[in-house]
Amino acid sequence: MDTNLLIGLVGLAGLIGLIVIRIPIAYAMIVVGIVGIWVLSGERILLSQLKSLAYGQFSLYDLSVVPMFVLMGNIATRAGLSRDLFRAANAWLGWMKGGVAMSAIAACAGFGSVCGSSLATASTMGQVALPELKRYRYKPSLATGTVAAGGVLGILIPPSVVLIIYAVIVEANIVTMFTAAFLPGLIAVAFFIVTIAIYVRLVPNAGPPGARVSREEFVAATLGVLPVLAIFALVIGGIYLGFFNPTPAGAVGAFLVAVYGFARRTVGLRDMRIALLETAKTSGMIYLILLGAELLSIFMARGGVPQTAAMMMAESGLSPYTIMVLLLIALIILGCLMDSLSMILLVMPFFWPVVAELDFGMTEDELKTWFGILALIVVELGLITPPVGMNVFVINALARDVPMIETFKGVVPFFLAEIVRVVLLLAFPSIVLFLPRLLG
Amino acid sequence: MNPAASALPRPIAFAEKVIELWALAGGILLCGIVLLTAYSLFMDIVFGAPFAGDFEIVEMGVAVAVFTFLPYCQLTGANVSADLFTSNASPRTVTFLVFLGAVIALLFSTFLIWRMYYGMVDSRQYNEITTVNGIPVWFAYVPILISLALLALASAITMIRSAKGVPHTGGPSLGGE
Amino acid sequence: AQGTAQSAEFEFTFHHFLGPKSPAQTQMIEPWIQRIEEASDGRVSIEIYPAMSLGGTPPELIRQARDGVVDLIWVVNGYTPGLFPRTEVFELPFIHTNDPKATNLAMRDMFEESLAEEYEGVEVMFLHVHAGQAIQMVDQEVRKPEDLAGKKMRIPTRTGAWVIEALGANPVGMPVPELPQALSKKVVDGAFIPWEIIPALKLQDLTDYQIEGADKTRFGTTTFQVSMNKDRWDGLPEDIQQIFRDNSGEEWLAELGEIWRDIDDGGIKIATDAGNHHIVLTEEETEAFREKLEPVVQRWVDDVSGKGIEGEAMVEAARAAIEKHAGQ
Ligand code: NA
Ligand code: NA
Repeated sequence: MDTNLLIGLVGLAGLIGLIVIRIPIAYAMIVVGIVGIWVLSGERILLSQLKSLAYGQFSLYDLSVVPMFVLMGNIATRAGLSRDLFRAANAWLGWMKGGVAMSAIAACAGFGSVCGSSLATASTMGQVALPELKRYRYKPSLATGTVAAGGVLGILIPPSVVLIIYAVIVEANIVTMFTAAFLPGLIAVAFFIVTIAIYVRLVPNAGPPGARVSREEFVAATLGVLPVLAIFALVIGGIYLGFFNPTPAGAVGAFLVAVYGFARRTVGLRDMRIALLETAKTSGMIYLILLGAELLSIFMARGGVPQTAAMMMAESGLSPYTIMVLLLIALIILGCLMDSLSMILLVMPFFWPVVAELDFGMTEDELKTWFGILALIVVELGLITPPVGMNVFVINALARDVPMIETFKGVVPFFLAEIVRVVLLLAFPSIVLFLPRLLG
Repeated sequence: MNPAASALPRPIAFAEKVIELWALAGGILLCGIVLLTAYSLFMDIVFGAPFAGDFEIVEMGVAVAVFTFLPYCQLTGANVSADLFTSNASPRTVTFLVFLGAVIALLFSTFLIWRMYYGMVDSRQYNEITTVNGIPVWFAYVPILISLALLALASAITMIRSAKGVPHTGGPSLGGE
Repeated sequence: AQGTAQSAEFEFTFHHFLGPKSPAQTQMIEPWIQRIEEASDGRVSIEIYPAMSLGGTPPELIRQARDGVVDLIWVVNGYTPGLFPRTEVFELPFIHTNDPKATNLAMRDMFEESLAEEYEGVEVMFLHVHAGQAIQMVDQEVRKPEDLAGKKMRIPTRTGAWVIEALGANPVGMPVPELPQALSKKVVDGAFIPWEIIPALKLQDLTDYQIEGADKTRFGTTTFQVSMNKDRWDGLPEDIQQIFRDNSGEEWLAELGEIWRDIDDGGIKIATDAGNHHIVLTEEETEAFREKLEPVVQRWVDDVSGKGIEGEAMVEAARAAIEKHAGQ
């Protein structure tokens, strides 16, 4: 084995070591990247490159949409959208057996259409839906499990921060990725609702039907959700139909949600301050990881690691589907340990070159799209699987009377539904590729 | 802003306030960029005349804004770590590891101040400007260097905090997943 | 480059911003490297790192070469506006007209005396241009400058933005990868960009009209450089330096003009095969554009005079040098 590759592997081991001892993932990447570049290429290259590298990365136009969508999500969180969404969903679905939980899923999907984050979706919807689920005496594990799983829709339905980052890493088109995520996102919503329907039939009294609402309430609730739908239609519809590119879309979305919040007086200056500080935390965290990932990938490129990994995979004699499944399983396992964003940033520079060499009878752009959606789904599964399931943690912080283990149990049916969905998308790539092909 | 601040000396509490205000200033800059972009789009759709070179202002402005966020991230512990492996470790061990993380952040920010100072000097010396509006690129480096100095300060504060056994105040961020 | 079993005496990294399958790599960078490696009898080995794989963004390439982060780069001068004001003269409309070979050789003629000082910290191997900016429109036929009034056009460079303004259109800046989407959704109405880019961005599907002046006349061009870190260059023995020089001289620049011309011709063929309208303006129509674009040259002269550059004289010299090599 050549020395550079060996150094690269030692670097990876060091990275895992640092992550294990609780060094923030961004700094673990930064340290390994810097030390690695230094060892492989010397101090002159390292010192020179760091004069402009951070500014270059932070000023990438493709990425500037990220803080905008984060801001939009944070304002939406404070603007009372979640309440409107749940009320409307409940008016339509609440009367059915398991209907209140189904409403929570539908409302999560609605919130996910203006918010690019899973955790924000889970926590925001949790605050609204959990009290209602409790009121109708839903089984606690079903209640918390539903909202934890529903939060995942925040990322699966565009806009999606992780999807943007993926697109930037593999140089895919963000609009294509958003378009491709739409149908799989709807399928997820349908599967989750069916999951609840099956669950409440198998487990007696797990999800009693809610009350039927009056005609007036039905109309009022339905009308109340229209502004959210309008914002989604304008922002995401605007991207799909080409009124604007993602960055202006993010700006318009953040602007409209703020206007909506101010107009309804649900958002004041105080809320804006909190929304801005939350945006600062999230965006700062994301960009620091991006910088770490860039340093790490320079180190690995100098060591020739990604090329070698791709070559080894290509020469392994495994079928493309086997390799694809192995990679997805690796992502699920990693997802148990790391947050999805760090993971995408950490592994895609290695995984994508491997996937790019596989022949599935589609163009490279289509392969990028398909693999991206599959990876996104399995990466997000990590949010609801033990031992580290961030969505579960967040929901449990809201529902302190439900033991963590109950929430994890409650998530299991949804996890199974997700696995079915992954298999479906693996077997029928056209579900992912249909809309991008149609809209060009 | 945070209950733990009272447990620490007054200058530290003041520094924390400055760091928070600096992040807010960056947030307001971000809002400004959002408004500029929305305005440019509006002008484009209605009058067919977008704001000239809006994209390079977005690039530059977002870069500056994100740098202002970094000290606040450090201060509030927003930088995600994998806590799984140390979930059973003693509080002492965890505090030490947090301390270690802060040392790394301090070293990195100091290192980056040094390097990016020369990045600014180069940019100025070679007269780098933006394409459409001709804005000197080194302008952006000035607030960025201030942000990095505050990042160093924030790292020092987290070091002191963890040395004294005072935990992070912010908790994990909710937006990123 | 690839698979050199034994390590050569002089190893170089070559960093650039396009993909490994781009014509720039396969038809220019690889042949150039191959000749140098062969001429050196294996003493020189140059490893290509495409697509910014050694990190950073395309505008950082020139810094990377200057600072020795990498040894060799290929980059668009316009990625760092402000750094190469003198070389910009060759980007101006109706200075470069239709002959990349002549412009390449003209830049070489003027290099030592008029351009070299702005390439601080690097040793320029060669400068070159592509075939030049043509007009590619989504659905608008263009035969006179007025047809572009109020249209949103993607800018190629700083001077390209001036061309667009002079024609009464709106310059829109965006990274190249965003262009296909922007065209397909009419976020922009068109772009000033050569034919060569057509296959890479599938412009044949996104545009209907390809417009250029009479006799392949273009509306300005883009200048590129292949440069080596200065210290690295100075540390090379003379015979190795000579090998680089021999393979980057007049003969190579003339050939390079042909190479870019061929890539460009290949691009327009794909568009016309796909049923697009390839409009070649008549002499009179081209003249109308020339009149409209003359002020761009003056704008550049005014702009650089603030930097102590004698713009008028540079314009004269550039025109004369291109004239000298035209049609050889
Ligand atoms: Na979303
Ligand atoms: Na997990």
